[in-house]
Amino acid sequence: MVHALEPTARHPAPLQRLARMVAVMRHEPALAIGAVLTLAFAYLIVAPVVSILLQAVVVQPGDSARLHQGEGAFTLYYLARAFASRMSGILLWGPLVHTLTIAAGTVALSVSLGVVLAWLVNRTDLVGRGWFATALVVPFMLPTWTFALAWTTIFKNGVVGGQPGWLQAMGFATPNWLAYGTLPIIVILVLHYTPLVVLIVGNALHRLDVQMEECARILGAGPRMIAFSIVLPLVRPALLSAALLIFADCIGEFAVPYILGLPVNYDTLSTGLYRALSSRQTGVAAVLAGAIMIMGVVTLMIDLRMMREARRFVTVGGKGGLQRRQSLGRLRHLAALLPAAVVLIGVALPLLTLFLSTVMILPGRFTPDNFTLDFWIGSNLHTVALRNGILLTPEFWAAAWNTVRIVGIAAAISGTLGLLVGYAVLRSPVRLIGQVLRQITFLPYLVPGIAFAAAFLSLFAVSRGPIPALYGTPFILILALVAENMPFASRSGIAAMTQLGREPEEAARVAGAGFLTRMRRIVIPIQAGPLATAILLPFISGIKGVSLFVILAVPATDVLTTYSLRLLDYNYDQAANAVVLMIALIAWLGTVLIQRICGTGLARGLES
Amino acid sequence: MPDILLQGLTKTYGKGAAPAVDGVSLTVPHGEFLCLLGPSGCGKTTILRMIAGIEHATGGTILMDGEAVDSVDQARFVPPERRRVGLVFQNYALWPHMTVARNVDFGLRLQNVSPAEREARCRDVMTKLKIADYAERYPAQLSGGQQQRVALARMLAINPDVLLLDEPLSNLDAALRLEMRAELRRIHETFGTTIIFVSHDQWEAMTLASTIAVMDRGRLQQVGSPDEIYARPANRFVAEFIGNPRINMVNLADTPARAGESVAAHLAARLPQAAGASVCGIRPEEIRLVPEVSGDALCVTVAGIMPTGGSWVIELAHGADRLFFSTQSRPKVKPGERIGCLLPDEALHLFDAEGRRLAIPGYGLCEAA
Ligand SMILES: Nc1ncnc2c1ncn2[C@@H]1O[C@H](COP(=O)(O)OP(=O)(O)OP(=O)(O)O)[C@@H](O)[C@H]1O
Ligand SMILES: [Mg+2]
Repeated sequence: MVHALEPTARHPAPLQRLARMVAVMRHEPALAIGAVLTLAFAYLIVAPVVSILLQAVVVQPGDSARLHQGEGAFTLYYLARAFASRMSGILLWGPLVHTLTIAAGTVALSVSLGVVLAWLVNRTDLVGRGWFATALVVPFMLPTWTFALAWTTIFKNGVVGGQPGWLQAMGFATPNWLAYGTLPIIVILVLHYTPLVVLIVGNALHRLDVQMEECARILGAGPRMIAFSIVLPLVRPALLSAALLIFADCIGEFAVPYILGLPVNYDTLSTGLYRALSSRQTGVAAVLAGAIMIMGVVTLMIDLRMMREARRFVTVGGKGGLQRRQSLGRLRHLAALLPAAVVLIGVALPLLTLFLSTVMILPGRFTPDNFTLDFWIGSNLHTVALRNGILLTPEFWAAAWNTVRIVGIAAAISGTLGLLVGYAVLRSPVRLIGQVLRQITFLPYLVPGIAFAAAFLSLFAVSRGPIPALYGTPFILILALVAENMPFASRSGIAAMTQLGREPEEAARVAGAGFLTRMRRIVIPIQAGPLATAILLPFISGIKGVSLFVILAVPATDVLTTYSLRLLDYNYDQAANAVVLMIALIAWLGTVLIQRICGTGLARGLES
Repeated sequence: MPDILLQGLTKTYGKGAAPAVDGVSLTVPHGEFLCLLGPSGCGKTTILRMIAGIEHATGGTILMDGEAVDSVDQARFVPPERRRVGLVFQNYALWPHMTVARNVDFGLRLQNVSPAEREARCRDVMTKLKIADYAERYPAQLSGGQQQRVALARMLAINPDVLLLDEPLSNLDAALRLEMRAELRRIHETFGTTIIFVSHDQWEAMTLASTIAVMDRGRLQQVGSPDEIYARPANRFVAEFIGNPRINMVNLADTPARAGESVAAHLAARLPQAAGASVCGIRPEEIRLVPEVSGDALCVTVAGIMPTGGSWVIELAHGADRLFFSTQSRPKVKPGERIGCLLPDEALHLFDAEGRRLAIPGYGLCEAA
């Protein structure tokens, strides 16, 4: 027999509510995971950021005599010095103008170029579309400083010592504006970031429901009308997001201005920061780091705001269907010159230049007797050090092994943590933990690598409490890399867990599976693809990375990037370029692997 | 001993939101076949999820076999993995990375059943549900109906004490639905499993369940056998929700001055003793047509005839009022014809101003047709 009872409405006492909460939460591992992760990231991310910001306003070691204040006392000296002193032009304003010029120039040029290329590749019957779609992405996979080194190989002039550039060696004096500074930096960054625009905008074009265009066509709109009143507005969110991403990246860019600016005292904020750090002006360095962070925050706010507006266009995620392509007629061959030129200048030329430079004894002399494979595989060379070709040098292999080990471990950790963050954010019954985690893990995105490295150095160089001094060990590099990777890793983890939904896991719970079984048998296998991407992408960017290593690596923890920079410092240009080529090779192989594993996942991963 | 007992069960998602489930108290004895019936969004799924344990109550208690598995007052909560219930999700939630066979034997693996027995039990369940042919396919390669059966097989395989089904037949075609219905009934009879299933298809509920619990906006409206619910609806909502075509509802409150101009006036004149009644309902099949207008018959015009496959619904007009009449035999009237219609006292369901059923001797005694 069944009968309805009277409802019993009651309000439990606070203590009872607490007991109840404990009873329920005990079975929600997401909460514990979230709490542990929050604590860990508070230490790994928030503490360094706070510490570096604090350094801007307290007296730094070594400055107390000059400032007549005790170490650690509050001071506005560094702010005043950076913003309003005789030095501020050199310290802050000059670099700031350079940084903004570079970032704005890069964004403007790469977006214009990228949109045209994306349209050509995705929406027209251009010759060799499929091939270009792949080839155009390659420059983004190469480290930016590959281009920078190729540039110096060709254009370097007599202003700085060492081997001259090819043009100089052949008797053309290259002017400074061509060899160093704004122009080459912008050209290189445009080459590097245009593929990103092609990827993101291409992806948006791809998802655009053709029916919307067809509908407009039926109503009598011409191609131009459709492009400007339908396609462009709908693709605009993707476009803006790509532009802001590039802007933020350019502000933090270190390696290119390091190679192309530092020799002629051309500073951006990040190289200025590096210079301040290496001349032990930690206070000023902190001010510069703060300036970069503020710019990052502002960019991000704009991005968030635009994203919110973009939500109104949710229809963009249409099914696609048959893509109509614009016929270019006879122009379809001619138009292919543009992407061909980009591939030539962005991939073929730099790689070929670098490769040639590694097989030539003297730069710029194209005679048979000047070519040799000694720098790769020679032995008993007549040099002061490095008497073997790079492939026969134990230091090279040690550095390569170090790189793969350190970056690989860091990437695996951050990928896994990213998935756990996704789990905690979406499953935690306490909403606050999810929100805090989301924000914390995104914080490193606002902090340029070089500033972050500086913060890590100041925080972990000495032993604090239970944590021993980590400087000089691989651990500090791994921790810094993990923290630096968290924005991407957590974003992709959250996206993956959102897509999974909670029901597959709930079904497993009902079937009797405990937390570990659920993770092992349900969540991780379903997320294998996203997890692989979340590990491989940070791996590639870690291999290419410079700024963290430049500050945190010591000879014992040499990685390929620092190894090649050191070779460069000692004027072993050929060997340095050979190492760079090997880095590019590893990065490219990793990218191919990702494309294999998850198809178009790359574009989606970069967008999130 | 009752198997499942809900006491004042309440669930509120987030502060300030209207409760999705509001003080539901219900006893489900062992071996019961109960259907939760109600319009979309009334909290049916939420109740199932709370019984399964993947949602926790914000008020009240759930007892299973006398043990509190979720009690706000006693601060107790037993997680789903220890409740021995099976839940078939509204949208299946199959594991996309496992084949059908692996989906089905997942639960058995967790129970450390020997491989031979596991194999045998899975075969058996998959054969019964007609999915054995797809054992090696992945969920993405199945149709909606096949997926639904895999979801059912996955839960049947672990032989739970209680089986919770969230609209388990919604995606099947008519023939398969009949077959699966028979299969569900057979499972219920053979294993004696307590089954609670959710539906918003009243016909399915009527034919399958031994008890129906009707819900609206998170509250339980009435619990009873299908006959009871149909013949003696506890309130206006139940009366209107159950029955197809819908019950005719006449608002007695707005009676115009002269009788004979509205159905309300006609009824009000006949119901002197039922002063508290504000609404009167009569099911379409309880109305009787008479050839000519006699003493207490209502004079109506045939406004339309709609065949509904083996039965007919006839729209009757009386002034501005409309009454629907349904019959199993081919109607002999023509549109525009004037005839008389009888509204028998015992077929009148009376409700007060709050919509509660009024128990007045002589009224609303009809048995289900
Ligand atoms: N996770 C959630 N957060 C907030 N509100 C929810 C959540 N799940 C359900 N609700 C709300 O609770 C109410 C009851 O939902 P429920 O899913 O139980 O309805 P239902 O009766 O199963 O409906 P249907 O027949 O459409 O499946 C709805 O108003 C719904 O919007
Ligand atoms: Mg539901």
